[in-house]
Amino acid sequence: MCWGVSAVNENDSECLQRALAEISAATDHDALDTVMAGLLPAYAIKSAAYMGTGITRNESEPVLAVTYSSDWVEHYKSRRYVEIDPVVHQGFRRLLPIDWSEFDSSQSDLRAFFGEAAEFGLGSHGLTIPVHGRGGDRSLFTVTSDFTDSDWLDAKFEYLRDFQMLAVHLHEKVLQLAAKSLDDVKLAPRELECLQWISEGKTAWECAIILGISEKTVRCYMESVRKKLNAVSNTHAVSIAHESGLFFPRL
Amino acid sequence: MILTIESHNQPEFPDLIDQMFQMRGEVFSGRLGWDVTVTDDREIDRFDDEDPAYLLSVNEKTGALQGAVRLLPTTGPNMLRDVFHVLAPEGAPESPLIWESSRFAINPHIFVSDDRTIANHRVNSITLELLCGIVEVCQKSGIDQIVSVFDARMARIFRAVDCSYDEIGTPTRIGKVMTHAALFEMSDAMWTRLARVGGFDAPVLAKPDAMTRLATVAKKAA
Repeated sequence: MCWGVSAVNENDSECLQRALAEISAATDHDALDTVMAGLLPAYAIKSAAYMGTGITRNESEPVLAVTYSSDWVEHYKSRRYVEIDPVVHQGFRRLLPIDWSEFDSSQSDLRAFFGEAAEFGLGSHGLTIPVHGRGGDRSLFTVTSDFTDSDWLDAKFEYLRDFQMLAVHLHEKVLQLAAKSLDDVKLAPRELECLQWISEGKTAWECAIILGISEKTVRCYMESVRKKLNAVSNTHAVSIAHESGLFFPRL
Repeated sequence: MILTIESHNQPEFPDLIDQMFQMRGEVFSGRLGWDVTVTDDREIDRFDDEDPAYLLSVNEKTGALQGAVRLLPTTGPNMLRDVFHVLAPEGAPESPLIWESSRFAINPHIFVSDDRTIANHRVNSITLELLCGIVEVCQKSGIDQIVSVFDARMARIFRAVDCSYDEIGTPTRIGKVMTHAALFEMSDAMWTRLARVGGFDAPVLAKPDAMTRLATVAKKAA
């Protein structure tokens, strides 16, 4: 008996099978963006968005894969809509799918928010599927549409199952990619020591004194660290190391 | 009537969730003698911290709690995988399309004062209402199947109300209790069968306006 989430079901629609295959084949985050973009024509939707939290230790920002226009993202940020967006506020503590029509549009700020979302091309309907992972990791998978009310009800009923599948598979892939980037990076003990002291604000010269090695060797270690972490600077390397939990012993 | 309560709308029903935890204490520890942790008369376990969805059967007029059940996704923490894995030696179900139901309980206070026949009828009716509610929530959410761990007593009830299931693994004695794990099909056919036995001709899930009305009742009572 196969219970794995990757089990292919003969009931799966063709577009679901294709999307799941693409998710499964994705080896980096860019590939996920491509998968998300492919969902729009496949399901005749206006946008698709993934937002995950608790993916890595010490993450400062949620993991995102969205098809929103950069105009909407900028507008959302400049209006600080994250402060009122009910999907973000409630979604991570909910379990059942959320149809945006349930949000009380008698509140003027929410009416403006959803109205502008529609103007920026998201459409007038939205559905968010919460995902609860095993280790406190959670995510929201959202689709929006400009269908008429009755077409929306039909489409929702027809594709809910697909959206549940996509939500969990995207989430598993994001976890897998995060774990992969963590596993692939193997810093030598000295490299990790240097990086830790740099993260404490020490200069290369100070690291050299502390570790009893030459400053040139410290610079050499840090060059190697930057390369391994694909970082553009020491500061960048420190932030990557924080995000991927490198400063903590692995479980 | 069945209310769907999640973490975000719990504050609208003060007391109701607390009453559910008390009822669970009374039923699972008191009546059934299960090995559960009861604190201040309330049975609460670690899965209640996972933001599950609760379905509560409440009296339409008074808002009194009649029964409850808890739903969790099998992709996250759940009882079969994390507690009762001995029941699923081939691996517990783990699918976006399968959720787990647990802590199914009927309020013992609804049948203490009645004669036996009326009491049994009420228990069956609330059981069927909760089961129909589970099917409706799953269908609204794109969920195909429910997996559940239950005892011989529930197995008899399921058979009595024509609620069919497929056992996974073999029934196993855990403590004093013969324990089953099974999958339930969340199909139209399942709903129709249960609704026929229960005498329901319409969905049992409360519509948003009924939820709002009962929230007002609950707040007054509190």
